[in-house]
Amino acid sequence: MKVLIVEDEPKTADYLERGLREQGYVVDVARDGLDGKHMALEYEYDVIVLDVMLPGTDGFSVLHALREHRQTPVIMLTARDRVDDRVRGLREGADDYLVKPFSFLELVARLQALTRRSRGQEAMQLRIADLQIDLLARKAWRNGQRLDLTAKEFALLAALARRKGEILSKTTIAELVWDVNFDSDTNVVEVAVKRLRSKLDDPFKPTLLHTVRGMGYVLEVRDEQSEDA
Amino acid sequence: MKLSISKRLAAMFAVASFVMLAVLSVAMHGLLKRELERHQSNELQARWTMYKPIIMRNDDVVHWQYVRTKFDNSISENNRVSLWVQSNDPRFLYGASLTDEQRHTMGAHGFGQVMLPGHDAPLKTYSAEVEAHGERPAVLLTVGIDSKPFVETLRAFTVGLIALTVVGALGAAGLGYYIARVGMRPLDRLSGEARGLSPGHLSRRLQTDTLAPELSELADSFNGALSRLETAYQQLEAFNADVAHELRTPLGNLIGQTQVTLSRERSPTELKEALHSNLEDLERLRAIVNDMLFLARADRGERAPNRVEVSIAQEVSHAVEYLEFIFEEAGVKVRIEGDAQASIETSLFRRAVTNLLQNAVQHAPRGAEIVVFVLQQPGAIRVSVQNTGSGIAREHLSRLFDRFYRVDSSRSGSRENHGLGLAIVRAVATMHGGTVFAESESGATTIGFTVAA
Repeated sequence: MKVLIVEDEPKTADYLERGLREQGYVVDVARDGLDGKHMALEYEYDVIVLDVMLPGTDGFSVLHALREHRQTPVIMLTARDRVDDRVRGLREGADDYLVKPFSFLELVARLQALTRRSRGQEAMQLRIADLQIDLLARKAWRNGQRLDLTAKEFALLAALARRKGEILSKTTIAELVWDVNFDSDTNVVEVAVKRLRSKLDDPFKPTLLHTVRGMGYVLEVRDEQSEDA
Repeated sequence: MKLSISKRLAAMFAVASFVMLAVLSVAMHGLLKRELERHQSNELQARWTMYKPIIMRNDDVVHWQYVRTKFDNSISENNRVSLWVQSNDPRFLYGASLTDEQRHTMGAHGFGQVMLPGHDAPLKTYSAEVEAHGERPAVLLTVGIDSKPFVETLRAFTVGLIALTVVGALGAAGLGYYIARVGMRPLDRLSGEARGLSPGHLSRRLQTDTLAPELSELADSFNGALSRLETAYQQLEAFNADVAHELRTPLGNLIGQTQVTLSRERSPTELKEALHSNLEDLERLRAIVNDMLFLARADRGERAPNRVEVSIAQEVSHAVEYLEFIFEEAGVKVRIEGDAQASIETSLFRRAVTNLLQNAVQHAPRGAEIVVFVLQQPGAIRVSVQNTGSGIAREHLSRLFDRFYRVDSSRSGSRENHGLGLAIVRAVATMHGGTVFAESESGATTIGFTVAA
């Protein structure tokens, strides 16, 4: 996966570069609009992260120039929470947008969604350790034992299992499971995770559903020692 | 260039008085001219009547010599007067010889005029026939008088009138300017007062009781604007203070924890723990900032941009479904009553309802029922969430939707709830052209909002 980051703020650009590289992306960084436009048109990328406020030439003109030649997926980063910026970005061909301040996990989730879109059919059967999930029949087993899950609990498990090993933020989970695309004060996700855990992990070993404090949740097999409380 | 009101008024006064004086002058000039002409005519006729008997009495050639002498004397006594006697008989003639043209302008009867060499004004004449008598045939007696004095009088008068008009207009301008300045004095005072207004003295207003009625209305409107500004300014100040206060706790935690962590060598586990903790505070900051930006959008008067026509009850049930686990945890039931169709932005609407339900579940006792009423009203759709519980004191009701307002101040430390939930409900209502309301009676609290139908 090759990604271009067009961002002038040095700290932001640096942590995005490092973070995405550690996520397994090949990362190029352009520090202003002109470089960004040049690189976006010159090289092949799977996805472009484009800041709106740029020196030289702004994000919209970069997007505009890009869309005349290429359909590379683009995520716009808008500093101002202004609807017209977002509407304008989407109208001019951006595939998604994030409002600053955004969380890094959020960005990763969006990037994956954009690149996954074009990757075709997924497997309908998932397996993690002794956990077995049938997405079509909407059933799950552990150690061969059927788990008695409600619809939402299953949706939560499926969302985590599809992104095995990825940390999912609460916002992403709310969006995937409840189709909720706004921040809210509720601890719905925490409660849901607690309920899922009581059915998924409490009766079985090893623990699969882990909390990453301040970030979200991840479904994976871990060494028992390094486990979070 | 912009003229001051005083100068403009002065100019208008000047123009008006110039026009008035000019019309008056033209009229007076005409009147005088007519009077002078009448005076001349009278004099001519009187003189003609005086000279006629001299001709009448002398009817032969011998006595004609006497007529000539008499006329000569008369002329030398009064050099304004000229006399002519014309007849077919060359023996009965008098006066300087006349050209045909002079004779023509003089006319055979009545008034006329003649231009004589050496005069700059024409002579006014009066001619009439003196009937034949004895040896003398009928003769034409013409009396002429010099019009120069009349013309000079008229000219002097005209010059006087023009001077009067110009001076009068200038005088009116000066006087007008002075009057305008005096008249404007209350305005000057008003602007002086307005200059004295500053953000430091927000409650100060313009004095209206001593102002002229025309100005007091202006000052009242201005005071109204000041009041609105004062309210907005105070809200902004309170808001800034609230924001600073809300951000202070997580910022303090972040700085303190980071300093403590860095003050000694730490194991990777400890460092990781510190970073996790920091992240929690940072997420909290981010949530506050995002909500504030959202509220600012509503404050700017932004309207919900992506509206679709949907069933309100269905949207409410989406929000209920989202909070289902919370309700189960809290042991409350939720019921939706009524439905209506409305054009709303669903994500905003669901957010508002979620916040209302969240608020209700926090205050409802275990086993209680929360009811969401959807009511179609004229021009609006009313969505209200009712829960039983301890109720909310009256003094809190009106402030419930203020930012960071908490009925129970001990709750302020709550990690999940940063006190913007109901403010967001109000913002969503505003963005849909609606309002918010809150009632609390005999243990049942109803909080809700409307959206324009």
